[in-house]
Amino acid sequence: MRPGETSARSAAILRAAPSLLLGALLVYLVVVPLFFLGLSSLRPTGFPFDPGWTFDNFRAVYGAPGFGRLIGDTIVFAGGSIAIALTLGTLLAWLVERTDLPGAGFVRALVILPMATPPLLMAIGWAMLLSPRSGALNVWAREWFGLSAAPFNAYSLGAMIFVQGLALTSTAFLFLAPAFRNMDPSLEEAALTSGASTRMLFQRVLIPLLRPAVLAAGVFLLIVGFVVFEIPGTLGMPARIFVLSSQLFYLASEAPGGMPLYGQVGALATLFLLLLLGLGVVYRHFTREASRYRTVTGKGFRPRRMRLGAWRWPALGVVGGYFLLAVIMPVGMLVWMSLMPYQARPSWANLALVTLENHRDFLDTPRVLEAMANTLLVAVVSATAVAILATLISWTTVRLRAPGSAVLDALAFLPIAIPGVMMGVALIYVYLTLDPIIAIYGTVWILIIAYTTDYLSFGTRAAGGVMVQLHPELEEAGRTSGASGFMVLRRITLPLLLPAIAAIWIWVLAHAMRELSTALMLQGRDNQVVTTLLWDYWQGGEPTRAAAVGVWLVVALLLALALWQILARRRERLM
Amino acid sequence: MLRIENLAKRYDTTRADAFAVRDVSIEVAEGEFFTLLGPSGCGKTTTLRSVAGLEMPDAGEIAIAGQTVFSAARGIVVPVARRDIAMVFQSYAIWPHMTVAENVRFPLEAMGVRGAEAVKRVAHALEMVGLAAFRDRPAPLLSGGQQQRVALARAVVKQAKILLLDEPLSNLDARLREQMRVELRDLQRRIGTTAIYVTHDQEEAMALSDRVAVMRDGVVVELAPPRDLYLQPRSIFAARFVGQADLFPCTVILRQDDLVRLRTPLGDLSSKRPVPIEGGPLSLLIRPEHVAFAAPDATGLNILEGTIRRVIFSGRLVEYGVDLVGGATLRVQGTSATLRDEGEVARLYLPPERCVIVQGSPDSDA
Repeated sequence: MRPGETSARSAAILRAAPSLLLGALLVYLVVVPLFFLGLSSLRPTGFPFDPGWTFDNFRAVYGAPGFGRLIGDTIVFAGGSIAIALTLGTLLAWLVERTDLPGAGFVRALVILPMATPPLLMAIGWAMLLSPRSGALNVWAREWFGLSAAPFNAYSLGAMIFVQGLALTSTAFLFLAPAFRNMDPSLEEAALTSGASTRMLFQRVLIPLLRPAVLAAGVFLLIVGFVVFEIPGTLGMPARIFVLSSQLFYLASEAPGGMPLYGQVGALATLFLLLLLGLGVVYRHFTREASRYRTVTGKGFRPRRMRLGAWRWPALGVVGGYFLLAVIMPVGMLVWMSLMPYQARPSWANLALVTLENHRDFLDTPRVLEAMANTLLVAVVSATAVAILATLISWTTVRLRAPGSAVLDALAFLPIAIPGVMMGVALIYVYLTLDPIIAIYGTVWILIIAYTTDYLSFGTRAAGGVMVQLHPELEEAGRTSGASGFMVLRRITLPLLLPAIAAIWIWVLAHAMRELSTALMLQGRDNQVVTTLLWDYWQGGEPTRAAAVGVWLVVALLLALALWQILARRRERLM
Repeated sequence: MLRIENLAKRYDTTRADAFAVRDVSIEVAEGEFFTLLGPSGCGKTTTLRSVAGLEMPDAGEIAIAGQTVFSAARGIVVPVARRDIAMVFQSYAIWPHMTVAENVRFPLEAMGVRGAEAVKRVAHALEMVGLAAFRDRPAPLLSGGQQQRVALARAVVKQAKILLLDEPLSNLDARLREQMRVELRDLQRRIGTTAIYVTHDQEEAMALSDRVAVMRDGVVVELAPPRDLYLQPRSIFAARFVGQADLFPCTVILRQDDLVRLRTPLGDLSSKRPVPIEGGPLSLLIRPEHVAFAAPDATGLNILEGTIRRVIFSGRLVEYGVDLVGGATLRVQGTSATLRDEGEVARLYLPPERCVIVQGSPDSDA
């Protein structure tokens, strides 16, 4: 063989190498923790490598008298909140993308506002508004209407559903808006020129075309609805209303005996995991269906917009009402409380009490500064790790189409079905077991691993989507120009993907900054972050200090997400 | 310059008959403009991409300028970057994050050509395609035709032994396509490079090429210079693919010196073309523009009588459908110089030197 020639066999090995390396990493990040979790459920002590086998944990969990109610509440909570989110989200997406709603572009830009309001803060804000004793709305209702009892109760299943529904609406909107926007208007025009009435157009063309996208969004929201902890933890636990995720948290951290019941956590998590994996499979089925229906035929078409006429005022009312309930009221309440010396309701008289004490306090407590530094470190490192890994994985699966791509894809998708609390517990097992070798238990690094795993499914899907859009001939032209694989990656692929990768980076940054449940489970001496601090203040009866922390968190998230939106728009222009 | 031997590639390794390219052997001389012509899915693009190294064939051998770049038997695969080729893509593949000059300079950077030499070669390449004034324009601000020219400049700047072109004109509108066709041919002549061109447009193939290989289902059906391919095709498929064709079954009833007497559904006709020697069924090929209208009282050799049933007027050309006395229908192409009407009785003359005898039956399509 002359120099410059490669044998076919070594080419084949080279082709399989990326999937083997990435596959091993994913198995370590995703499969190993779940395996430990399953193992611990079968151990009497609840630790994966202690001796003995038992089914007691399963009996204790599934035989408990409250188990039926736990499942019932979970289903009502998840189902109710996604019903609200899907209805509101579809309505908003349709109004913004397919009608002549005044200021539709402005509304689209405003969607980052609810995204920048973490569910935890929404829950705290609404608790301040609806708490039976001191909630502002209850106090006013009593004063103005002379009621003897509080009309609202923040600590109820109804309030949980209401707040969670609002919190998920922006996700539903982000899912559905592209489906509404990218629908080829010629499909509608074909129906209209065939003589279809508006009703027939909706029934026979629009609804069937959008059904896969809406169903996919619905299943995705259902997964999220089962996984979320912040709102059930804030509004449900004080009233002893548990759903699966808060039950996991309760067993792992606040069980009556004082000792975490890790074995029972594992047993409960098994059910959870099976349920969510099932939903994950359904979700992938629907997204594939939706992409089969995708009728984008290139740029340059304007979707038909329906004339709202007199309906524009109620439509604007719906949009305004959503932002009022999801952002303005809870965040406004947080801002007010952060300026109060104690939990005083908003009134002209109480304006005299305004003080910057909480904010000043927030900025010169060493504990707070340390939490901020930890948050920033964790968010930046895990965002970078996700951006790199997601790019490599989607490059391997989409572009190289290396052997084993399907497995790689599935492994990277799996974390979406793992609740933060469960991921936390699983990592506790892994790193307590590995402690002498990899001593990261109780440090920021265990959080970084958790978030990298958690957000990998989002990152991989986003990067894969962009990679598919990138015409392969752009890279092939580089290779036929005589450039090495590395030069093509550095000079062509990466520069073209950069805006998209940056958008993924900031998205993960923002979400790692606002995440609570995993951080709470993995909380140790050295890894307190802003959200766990906030939780401690809130649980410890210092709502005004919690509010101050929350206000600054919203400001930071708003900055990050505004940047994200600018980058996402730049990417659309380049493609 | 290019030698392809017994090239084969499966598109689905689990099925025995799933070949994209079955058994292709081609030899292209230096400076030749060679075209792979065929319908979509015939394997022409797979063959081209195998030469570039973008596809990994399952069997066969490819040599560029004497260097073996692929050999399944000897286990040789030269990476794309080390092959002496340049390629123009169907989508142009102009990098949107670079300017025109940066796009064209890229292959030079990849080869390590820098400084004054690189500047000179980029300027020269842009001049050749008439884009010298656009060198600093960002790529997304170019029209389709300009992108096409940048893609060409980026390919020729490399001064590779072989220029590969994958349907480069198919995304342009008709007028621009014809103009670029002429420019492309001139450019190839001027730089004297060997060009391998892939297209499904038979007119494009005829106008550009020194030789054309007609492909179908992963095999080369016929390989000939454009004139031979058009005037003396050796298969029914090629006869139909390269132009309009009326085909009728025929049998040889008499041979006399260089004249062959044929029995056809149109009647008995004379041909001055050779008879295929392979045996089996034969067909008579008549192209509509070869049929002439004869004088109303004309009689004799290859004169047919019929009635005009259909007139399609498309400006420069007029196509007539003529129902012959014997029952068959023949297409005749005329110009707008003389116009005839539906229902008119006409006499047609088939020149014996244009009555081509092709191997195979008209229904076989093979």
